[in-house]
Amino acid sequence: MDNLQNKLIKNFKEKGLAEYPLEWLGNYRLDAINAAESLGVPDLSNEDWRFTSLKEFIKKDFSFFDGKAETYNKPKLPEHIKSIDGYFVYMHNGQLVSDSDYPFSLTRLNDSFEDLKVKEILLNEVSSKNKDFFYELSCAFIDDGFFLKLEGSNRLDKPIVIINSFDSDVDSKFVNTRNIFYFEESSSAEIIEYSVSESVNEFFLNKTSIVYVDQNARVEHLLVEDGNKNSFIFSNLKIVQGRDSHFTTNSILSGGQLIRNNVHPILNGEGCFSNILGLYLSSEDQLMDNYMFVEHLKPHCESTQLYKGLLNDESRGVFHGRILVHKEAQKTNAYQTNRNLLLSDKAQVDTKPQLEIYADDVKCSHGATIGQIDKEALHYLQARGINKDKAMLMLIKAFTDEVCEPMESEVLLEAFHNIVNDWFVKSELLEPENQE
Amino acid sequence: MIEIVNLHAEVQGQKILNGLNLKINKGEVHSIMGPNGSGKSTLAAILAGKEDYDITDGDIIYKGESILDLAPDERAQQGIFLAFQYPIEIPGVSNAYFLREALNSINKARGNPVLKPVEFGKLAKQKIKMLKMDETLLKRSLNEGFSGGEKKRNEILQMAILEPLLSILDETDSGLDIDALQIVANGVNSLRNEETAFLVITHYQRLLDYIVPDFVHVLVKGKIVKSGDKSLALELESKGYSWLED
Ligand SMILES: Nc1ncnc2c1ncn2[C@@H]1O[C@H](COP(=O)(O)OP(=O)(O)O)[C@@H](O)[C@H]1O
Ligand SMILES: [Mg+2]
Repeated sequence: MDNLQNKLIKNFKEKGLAEYPLEWLGNYRLDAINAAESLGVPDLSNEDWRFTSLKEFIKKDFSFFDGKAETYNKPKLPEHIKSIDGYFVYMHNGQLVSDSDYPFSLTRLNDSFEDLKVKEILLNEVSSKNKDFFYELSCAFIDDGFFLKLEGSNRLDKPIVIINSFDSDVDSKFVNTRNIFYFEESSSAEIIEYSVSESVNEFFLNKTSIVYVDQNARVEHLLVEDGNKNSFIFSNLKIVQGRDSHFTTNSILSGGQLIRNNVHPILNGEGCFSNILGLYLSSEDQLMDNYMFVEHLKPHCESTQLYKGLLNDESRGVFHGRILVHKEAQKTNAYQTNRNLLLSDKAQVDTKPQLEIYADDVKCSHGATIGQIDKEALHYLQARGINKDKAMLMLIKAFTDEVCEPMESEVLLEAFHNIVNDWFVKSELLEPENQE
Repeated sequence: MIEIVNLHAEVQGQKILNGLNLKINKGEVHSIMGPNGSGKSTLAAILAGKEDYDITDGDIIYKGESILDLAPDERAQQGIFLAFQYPIEIPGVSNAYFLREALNSINKARGNPVLKPVEFGKLAKQKIKMLKMDETLLKRSLNEGFSGGEKKRNEILQMAILEPLLSILDETDSGLDIDALQIVANGVNSLRNEETAFLVITHYQRLLDYIVPDFVHVLVKGKIVKSGDKSLALELESKGYSWLED
């Protein structure tokens, strides 16, 4: 048995997490820690972790952190994030620190366990539970985070902007956080989740968001993981969609030493639509692993996945695209595309589709490509007077821009472009003063 | 304007140009004809600065200086333009954005003012009208899904907007019907003046009815084997190339 796992189980016991006054919650945690223990930290023999070795990661000395921040200073944010006209929600080390008034209800998760909706959401997994060590871990340590509810027919006029930041004063923290979003029938909202870290110490973030998009609701979501070389991020995004609902999510992974990005949309009502977009931008020796699990439970639904990777230096990317169409889900349309552009000879990417289709009337497609900058295209642009760096950038942008085409929210689109531009600047593909 | 001197070029060790000489003065239109595989596109690509070729001997003097060390964008900025035989499709880069970037890069290099999007729009629309093209082409991705004829016309649109000094047309007429051919020829002729020059590569004499050349050259196996005036094109049309080969 490895160190990390033992250490965390010890933490769990020391904190007495199973002895919570609410019996169901204690049991929920206990079941999860037992499941985590029997699953163990995945290694390469696990099909779902074939391309991502955690050998070095588990040697690290992370321990559970539930301390409150003594003083909280808002993180330094890029101007284009700060200036967004939105409802800002601040999280620090996985804890909700905002207490403003919002046109939606927002409570700390640990103050919300009495809420029957929260209990129902946690206990009802809806789909086949994904047996994953880190997901179980997130259930075992469930405490911090928030419960956000937007009532029926409410349409938010501005996006919810969630800012996640992390302390740098404590070494080797394991931060576990869970956010539950509940969008009631016919409501609509836009969300930007921006995680940034300037931490000088290594930290292990295990983050789970569950988004309920009820009947006829519309939600557009942009997730940005902009960590640094000290960030080890395990993110779970689980979406449960009701009838005729419409959900778009776009993940930009732009910084972090190791990111495992799990996205699990569950199309759980007839006629719903799920747009799953993502862009992983990796450099140096980063590893960005995307695990998609699109699950169709009901008929007449459509899901489209478009994930793109732009990989520089010696970085590595993984795309695992699993589509599961249950027997009942007739007339399903499920599409998946993964494209990768390698900017360096040493960058590497592994891509793997996995289709499991139990309904017989289904349209399903998948495709993956891995390539480099097209020399002929580069020459064509140069032959018209455009210098090589600019021409490269035009081609790279054409590649990345496709990922935001299905998005509708102007604010989210603008944020998308700004964040990608930030990465271009950081990667020296774009001069800061030339920012467009 | 340009002088190609004893040019020898290879690609992957295969000799393609074998001592090619050609001088084009300002105000002149030269045409190059020749059998398939004789090296016409290679010559055009080398003039535009494509990297895949090794120049093993000779030189290219443009406006009095060798351009062999110049990158393709620098050559374009100095006024060299190649209308490609097979224009590349570039998904995700709109035609309008591309053209504006190109024009502004060239303007910057020449010390001319950079055009604002509105000014550029006006110019582009005017040229599009001249070439009887559809305005929606501007919004579409560069050449993506364009028909063969649309691609060729798009090359001429770029030429009309960038206003080069030396234009090289590589089989721009291939695949065009007679109407499109006339439109393309009009576009070319509108740029003809005493400061500009043209090198027109073609298989067909009919283009030369509309773009009347001052000189016609025959390229065989990487060398110019015969030069003459426009009547040479007519002669080639009836006799073919075999009498000039070997
Ligand atoms: N990039 C290349 N790689 C290999 N061979 C080439 C390349 N470009 C041209 N060639 C060869 O050079 C010769 C001349 O080709 P090209 O210049 O296209 O002729 P043309 O345009 O006169 O038909 C042909 O034999 C062609 O196969
Ligand atoms: Mg040719």
